[in-house]
Amino acid sequence: MKLLLQLSIRNLLRHKRRNGMLLLAIAVAVAGVNASNTLLRGYQLDLLDTAVSNLTGHVKVHAPGYRDDPTIMNSFVIEDSFTPDVPSDVLLGWAPRVRIPGVIMSERETRGVQLVGIEPGAEGISFLRDAVIDGEFLTAADDNRVVLGKELLRQLESDIGRRLVIITQGADGLNRERGYRIAGSYDVQGTGLEKLFVFVGLEHLQALLETDAVTEVSVRLTTENYREPAKLSMAASLSDLEVMDWQELEPQAAEMFLFADGVIYVWFLLMMGALTFGLVNSLAAAVMERVKELGMMRALGMQKRTVVVQVVVESCVMMALGVLAGTLLGALIYAAISDGIDLTAWSDGIELFGVASLLVPVMLPSDLLTVAFSSMLLGIAASLYPAWRVVQVQPLDALRS
Amino acid sequence: MSQPVVVCKGVTKTYQKEAVPVHALRGVDFVVHPGEFVSLSGPSGSGKSTLLNIIGGLDRPDSGSVVVDEVDYGGLSESALAELRLHKLGFVFQAYNLIPVLSALENVEFIMQLQGVPAAERQGRAEDVLTKLGLGEMIHRRPGEMSGGQQQRVAVARAIASDPVLLLADEPSANLDSRTTEELLELLKRLNQDNGMTIITATHDPMVMSYATRQVKLRDGAIEHDDAALPA
Repeated sequence: MKLLLQLSIRNLLRHKRRNGMLLLAIAVAVAGVNASNTLLRGYQLDLLDTAVSNLTGHVKVHAPGYRDDPTIMNSFVIEDSFTPDVPSDVLLGWAPRVRIPGVIMSERETRGVQLVGIEPGAEGISFLRDAVIDGEFLTAADDNRVVLGKELLRQLESDIGRRLVIITQGADGLNRERGYRIAGSYDVQGTGLEKLFVFVGLEHLQALLETDAVTEVSVRLTTENYREPAKLSMAASLSDLEVMDWQELEPQAAEMFLFADGVIYVWFLLMMGALTFGLVNSLAAAVMERVKELGMMRALGMQKRTVVVQVVVESCVMMALGVLAGTLLGALIYAAISDGIDLTAWSDGIELFGVASLLVPVMLPSDLLTVAFSSMLLGIAASLYPAWRVVQVQPLDALRS
Repeated sequence: MSQPVVVCKGVTKTYQKEAVPVHALRGVDFVVHPGEFVSLSGPSGSGKSTLLNIIGGLDRPDSGSVVVDEVDYGGLSESALAELRLHKLGFVFQAYNLIPVLSALENVEFIMQLQGVPAAERQGRAEDVLTKLGLGEMIHRRPGEMSGGQQQRVAVARAIASDPVLLLADEPSANLDSRTTEELLELLKRLNQDNGMTIITATHDPMVMSYATRQVKLRDGAIEHDDAALPA
């Protein structure tokens, strides 16, 4: 192998200009793939964070029938001693909620909303963690004020400190109506959430509805990788309830998540596939112009398979150098954009795709390794045809050429 | 008498040249004993190179048998023939055919590397052979930095460094001037006389023929004259 490696390196150095150009092309392609992967991973993780933070969590518990009819009638009672059946080292937090439809009225406007009773201290697992609060946030589960989105506040033509009326249905099926003072408003990226959710203290809302029940328990994990096992163990311990993960609850986001995964591989195949044709061409030219030399080696006793291995090693050396240079270049590009790319100018359009206005790239070692490993496989594949072609020439014919 | 190194019996070979059959060898019987220096000569198309290539396992006969160092080529796979060339035969080609990216030393080591000879041993042997052939000062030069004669001596060094049973040289002087040819032939003569190396050359060159101890002349694919057939 040492001999083959030595021959390969020296053969590559034989045509410095040609191989230098090829090396540059590989490096640029690998860097491009790695850099685009960091953006796609950033988008994907942002999508995941948005989906999970959107009051969904990684895993969520509902009463059967709630998803078809999201009212307080489809609720369940949790024991004081309840904690999700998930190992503590992967449990980031959990939050019980009452989430029901309601109507909110100001002096001037009326809107349909999702009325959400929360324990404020538990909502560090939702988008409220990063929301910008104007005024005050709820202070306790029995807080009898409301916090609503900035956009909703604007649409209601109301203001912090003023009063609103909320109408919703109680556990007995009768309407409840009550006036609330606005404690504050939240501001998050995109106006969808701001128009939808109105928060009130959980215990206060339960008292209004005359129930001890909740409509959901949202569980957030430290890692997406434990989502499936967490769902299964919780489903086992809460067999009379519906336990679902964010992918089931947010199928569109799940599809986008998978789509981003697919794009990473399609992009890799497009970039590196095109490059592979160049590599095959270059290797074929390089070995066919050495057909006499390789024929002589076989005449002296080198086996056909050794010739094949030599061409493969030559391709692998070239690819390995290209991948190394490309990975370094990709890391430099990543470092240059690691603070994020500001997409504010396109914020209206990209909101449709669930993209935040600041796209922060994420570099995963597993992605770098996948690109490197796949590139090496392509390098091997690219060398097989030139190697096959050159060993079809008989040593004697090669010597006469 | 010792076992012959080469035994060819009834060897025939026909090529198709533009759909016309060309009978390169027509039932050649040929035996070479250890220590012989044989010159195969004859006009172009006489079959000398074809016979040399068949003995070297680079070509296969259409019929007849070839046995080299008691190994019958009949039925040997391509891989087994390559193995045999690697371990039993040494080749010197007309165009030197050195590997341009390797130094003289590395070229000589090449076959031993394929044979799996340990690094220290093969380097020692390669240096030794190159020094004996007067190339001790040039072991780190690449072929492109050497004259034709020097390159051909490196080719000889490569062929003999692994101590083959049989050295085959196809037109070894074709690209050399007469002085360099003479030096090369003196070298082959020394290898033959001092080391008892069996050598077969295919050549047009009368000077090469004059150094051989046995003349074999071919014409139209058959042996026209063989010194070995003459009465002692």
